[in-house]
Amino acid sequence: MIMPEPEKGVPLVIVTYQDIYQWIARQRDGWGDSYQAQSATIRLSPADLKNLGLKDGDLVELDNEAGAVVVKTKSDPACEEGTAIMPASLYSNRLASCDPSRSRLPNLKRIEVIARPTGKGVTPLSDLLVRKTVA
Amino acid sequence: MSAEEAVEEAARLLSRAKNCLIFGFDSSTLETQAIAIELARKLGAVIDDASSFSWGTLLESLLRGVLPTCSLSEVKDNADLLIYWGSNPPHTHPRHLSKFTYYAYTDYNPAGWFPKVKLSCFEVRDTELSVMCQPVFKIKPGGDRHFIRAVLGEAPSGAKDSQSFLKMVIESHFCVIFCGAGLSYSLDGEFGPFSDMVRRFSQAIRVAVIPMVAQANLRGFSQSLYAQTQHVNQVSFGAGISHGNEFSFVEQVRKGLADCVLVVGSDPFSTLPQSLMGNLRGTSIICLDRFSTPTTTAADVVIATALPGLECGGSMARMDGDRVILVGPKKGDYPTEEEILNQLLQRIE
Repeated sequence: MIMPEPEKGVPLVIVTYQDIYQWIARQRDGWGDSYQAQSATIRLSPADLKNLGLKDGDLVELDNEAGAVVVKTKSDPACEEGTAIMPASLYSNRLASCDPSRSRLPNLKRIEVIARPTGKGVTPLSDLLVRKTVA
Repeated sequence: MSAEEAVEEAARLLSRAKNCLIFGFDSSTLETQAIAIELARKLGAVIDDASSFSWGTLLESLLRGVLPTCSLSEVKDNADLLIYWGSNPPHTHPRHLSKFTYYAYTDYNPAGWFPKVKLSCFEVRDTELSVMCQPVFKIKPGGDRHFIRAVLGEAPSGAKDSQSFLKMVIESHFCVIFCGAGLSYSLDGEFGPFSDMVRRFSQAIRVAVIPMVAQANLRGFSQSLYAQTQHVNQVSFGAGISHGNEFSFVEQVRKGLADCVLVVGSDPFSTLPQSLMGNLRGTSIICLDRFSTPTTTAADVVIATALPGLECGGSMARMDGDRVILVGPKKGDYPTEEEILNQLLQRIE
């Protein structure tokens, strides 16, 4: 039996979707805490959660060539192992990429990442805004 | 900076620019879109909208008559099979089912309250819609092309359920397929096999395709630009009318070709990859928007404008292409996008 090694990370394919509750949060409160709470979240299978050594509600770091974010996990038995679900947002767009050699459209809906347990906090929204000057 | 000074500065940036990129208008009125196209023509600019990375190719097929379509008013009580493919309207279009399709049917099954229409969907996960559907075609992310090929009998190995899908469609009389972003991205914007499949169905039954466009007037922009250029997006007025992927907003930004970007009624900084939008650092950005967004945060000049449909009137084209008149019941303090674009047109030499 192969034992999971959470520190090496678990590969996931993230499928993004439009979430009405996130949209309502943005309309009511703008780009604030409510939007962050509805966006900085990932639903994954209990098996993937177990492989990561995490429990429901723990934080996870998602990382790929485009960038990295820390979001909150939610266990979802409807998710297949290796596939995760995330609302389309500034968080998923940090991980999204645009490579015409691989696809004609930007890759916004099927994003490959490595998930790892983390001691960091949820990525602040201010870190996800593109500004004129690089800090 | 006053609104007057902001318009002056925007006009100065646009006049000075050698390569202008104009983007958005998917929440703007048809009247605003017409002026935007005029402005792009005057500036010799590239003009594009979000359809170029979503429903563009599908919309072009519909406008060219390659694919059959119909009005939403024809769907209710007439279609006997509704298929939502890669779309979950309870989240993307909350009033769609009750106003135009499933719940709008007036004829109900006598055994209960279920409308007399078959509801089906293609999904990669369980959704609010999929629990209402019978049958649900659950496919793996990115598996849509393979499924379509299997329906056409072209796949080396048949996709699960492809034959039952074919049977379900052929046994109906009038089938409407609502195409969502999930299908568009899974097919990478190439609707060739999908069109072949629909044409095959059309030989046996009546089929109509309606794009589940997310933005209020994305279809309107495609129609407006198509009427003037024969293209729905990705147009350059640099030397006459040119069209191609090199004139898409994504490619222009990726290659850093534009030296001034005008964004109206859109928020590309929240919808596109941040690794891509970072390429606009150092590029002048002008943004017309009613709200504070990641795009207004990145812009050099922001001009607040009235919200179409609430603070100003006009018209838009909904997802099926029908024109909708907006009343604009509450007069706001801000100028309309149309007024600002007209001012820019007058100030640019």
